[in-house]
Amino acid sequence: MTGVSSSTALWYASRATGVVSLVLLSAAVIIGIVVSRPACPRGAPGGRPPGSARLPRFVVLGLHRNVSLLAVAFVAVHVLTAVADSFVSISLAAAIIPFASAYEPLWMGLGAVSLDLMVAVIVTSLLRRHIGHRVWRALHWLAYVSWPVAVAHGIGSSTDLRRAGPLLDLTIACIAAVVIALAWRVTRARVPQPRSRPAPELIDAGARR
Amino acid sequence: MTDHNQYARQHTWQHAGQSVAARAAARDRGRARLRAATISVAAVSLIGAGAVAVALPGAAAASGAHATSGHSSSSGGSAGSAGSAGSGSSSSSSPALSSPSSTPTSGSGGGQVTSGGS
Repeated sequence: MTGVSSSTALWYASRATGVVSLVLLSAAVIIGIVVSRPACPRGAPGGRPPGSARLPRFVVLGLHRNVSLLAVAFVAVHVLTAVADSFVSISLAAAIIPFASAYEPLWMGLGAVSLDLMVAVIVTSLLRRHIGHRVWRALHWLAYVSWPVAVAHGIGSSTDLRRAGPLLDLTIACIAAVVIALAWRVTRARVPQPRSRPAPELIDAGARR
Repeated sequence: MTDHNQYARQHTWQHAGQSVAARAAARDRGRARLRAATISVAAVSLIGAGAVAVALPGAAAASGAHATSGHSSSSGGSAGSAGSAGSGSSSSSSPALSSPSSTPTSGSGGGQVTSGGS
């Protein structure tokens, strides 16, 4: 590592942040799947998400938000280092505008699509109170598009993923984890959830009035 | 009867006060957990990024190969070379296609890069 030039360092940074972004995005998607509960608005007893026995819902939601923002930070570094690396020509516009890159237009284009969708999901989540829950929820479904597109971008643009190795194993593990979480979520949505009962102290207090 | 009502009301208030305090304490605990989890995830991510940069195939030998190729690439013009590399006319422009996704390993450096660049 002694002969690392600035260009090499940028390439290392782009590669490493791309891998970590994949893991973080997968984690954010999985937490989002686990914590979502469309069938039962006041669903799990005690305000806890269905998948967690100990953590309150607001903690899991906060973790989902923080992991997502962390993933976006890593994606930003991934994009900026790829653009700054002079070894190949990827302009900032090509990183944002889909399929505008001269270098591997399809795979870079998928990366740009994923980035745009990700930004849309994050921005609408930050503006959730202003745009309303229904609009936010509809737009938040874009996350289910953004993640597989990002995975396709990673598989297509990285030769590390085209041959057996730790990166391929990691990507397969991420895909498997998301698919399992999604299957669990779909299965759970079909099962009718029991309505949460009011807490005993509230019943007690109500009876005394 | 009045005493009983007064007692019941006072008991309810005390109970409600305890409940509010317990909820506030639980919320504080939850926030602390969230903060700790976020810091842990961020630290693990940074360490993971460093580990990926160092440990993945090509990292040990890539510095020299990439630096050398980077020199030739920059001398030839980065934007132009990447754009014209699609024709695959020159051998020096070929590695530039695959370098962002994989650098050569120490054993089979040039061949690996060239084959991955198509």
